[in-house]
Amino acid sequence: MIRVKLGEFLRLPSILAGMGYSVVVPTEGNGVTKFEGYSPDSAIDLDYVRAINAPRDFLLPDGERLYRYRSTATVTSYGLKIRFPTVEGPCPVTINAEYTAPGGRLAFFAIHPCHANSIRYLDRVMLSDPADPYYKARREGMLTVVLECEEGDDYCFCVPAGSWRAEEGYCDILVRRSGEWFLVQPISEAGREAASKLNAQEEDAGSLEGKPPKMKSSFSILASEGEIDRAPAEGLDSCTLCAACTVTCPTCYCSDIEDRFNLVDPSNVERVRRRMSCQRKCYSMIAGGTIFLKTKEERYRWRLKHKFPFSEKAFGMSGCVGCGNCIAFCPAGIDMRKTVGRDQG
Amino acid sequence: MKTEENPYIPKSATVVAVKNESLETKTLRLRLYNWRAQFQPGQFVQLLLPGVGEAPFCIASSPSDQKHMDLTIIRRGLVTIASHYMRPGDVVGIRGPFGRPFPISRMVGKDLLIVGTGIGIAALRSLILFVAEHREEFGEVDLLYGARFPEDLVYRDEMKPWAEKMNVKVTLSKASPEWGGLRGRVTDHLGGVVRGGEQVAVLCGSPMVMHSISAELLKRGLKADQVFVSLERHMKCGIGKCARCLIPGGWHVCRDGPVFSLDEISLEAIGE
Repeated sequence: MIRVKLGEFLRLPSILAGMGYSVVVPTEGNGVTKFEGYSPDSAIDLDYVRAINAPRDFLLPDGERLYRYRSTATVTSYGLKIRFPTVEGPCPVTINAEYTAPGGRLAFFAIHPCHANSIRYLDRVMLSDPADPYYKARREGMLTVVLECEEGDDYCFCVPAGSWRAEEGYCDILVRRSGEWFLVQPISEAGREAASKLNAQEEDAGSLEGKPPKMKSSFSILASEGEIDRAPAEGLDSCTLCAACTVTCPTCYCSDIEDRFNLVDPSNVERVRRRMSCQRKCYSMIAGGTIFLKTKEERYRWRLKHKFPFSEKAFGMSGCVGCGNCIAFCPAGIDMRKTVGRDQG
Repeated sequence: MKTEENPYIPKSATVVAVKNESLETKTLRLRLYNWRAQFQPGQFVQLLLPGVGEAPFCIASSPSDQKHMDLTIIRRGLVTIASHYMRPGDVVGIRGPFGRPFPISRMVGKDLLIVGTGIGIAALRSLILFVAEHREEFGEVDLLYGARFPEDLVYRDEMKPWAEKMNVKVTLSKASPEWGGLRGRVTDHLGGVVRGGEQVAVLCGSPMVMHSISAELLKRGLKADQVFVSLERHMKCGIGKCARCLIPGGWHVCRDGPVFSLDEISLEAIGE
């Protein structure tokens, strides 16, 4: 473990960038903290409790191109005309999908333990057989610098959710704030290499163990499928179905895949993966217009069921990391802790 | 990373024949270009129409021919309407086959009841053809097919050859006066085909109809692990990554299904 001051610690993103990583740092702007790609003039915010986006937005970017291919669509004077490629015609006999695997290594600087656990959950989902090749390529060689939280805000509940500790393999460098010092504990080989380039002002023989942050609320989460169905769901009348809960959630991964082309060259088609939200009507629509999740309440409970019982069953891990983003960013003030939380004792 | 390892990349297939089944339904016969699909009855594929999009369809042809694939498609949405404009020679993309097939090993040597309503019969045709080819391995086989109007009936010319192999009953809920067959809903005619014992029942149809048939079969004494349903969801990826096909109980229809037995899922998961 080494001890560094703030100025030296802030050199770490540029050290990581020098090691060939594309570094993602929390930056401040417009009153919120947001993860963004690092540039030397980034306004890095280390005091943040809550960020509006999450590592998910870099590991599973919205609007990611899966592959591109040529179709035979043409623009005519009366609009877009799609003619299917025929074997006899001049069109290719096969659909030649061109794609490039995402390259480069990602480094997340100063993420919180809940973010590290959200990556662990996404790993369970995306790397289960068969693995998602795009996620896998981004995930390979990833490095995380985990900054421990001292105290959660009104919405945090990572201690009840059991995700305050960054698990092994999801934390290359663990950092704790202690007064004006930053205690830096490299854990993995890549983390040691990066930390060795810091000018340590003081070495310390001890090692850093995870420490739970102070929580403003304490409760236990009871969330089987039946319990979520029976639990009260308050304030849903004011829900506007804006989907802010799923957009800001660090583990929401539902997606839609669609064809996209522009009218200048409509034959150049891209298959694009876009984020989808269970709060939307089209999420559960099947051919013929049947919708399985009809009401706000069904969609609200569906989100919680996907987070807790479904994820436990399919991936052996809760999908909620207790970051509280869905509560903090909800314009209607809907609090899911009232549905899944039970007072202790 | 090779293209073969990427499950999102489609393989090419050529439309070799288009058959009009009914006013709204066509069957596309696809020849797989330079590859073979090792599919089993009940599995589905993702059909990509270049420039239009992708949609999941159950394979409707016999698994003994792995060079060809039949997809029976009813006009309902963007991809299905576009598929009705396809002509022989057109190239499409196919991903798959995906999903868990019908449990043939559970059915061998037992009585089999196949219930299809509406376009749900398309998902069962693969099983029907398989049973017809291996008829001696099964006990009594009943096929109960329900539709609304006479114009909605599909596979009309195949019903006669099937009737030589199994007991086929067709019922129409909104039959015209000329209709000489059974009338009424499928649930009205279950009495004659539920044989009890170790009979295995297989259902496919619209969510509401499957829900009522399942409840009726359970009421008539079949156990939950004897009834299999083939569910429909709009899967986008087919490999359990997009979570669009989650159903109550935490199952992914694309990976754990589309075939489920009723002891795995609740009736609410089917629909209402």
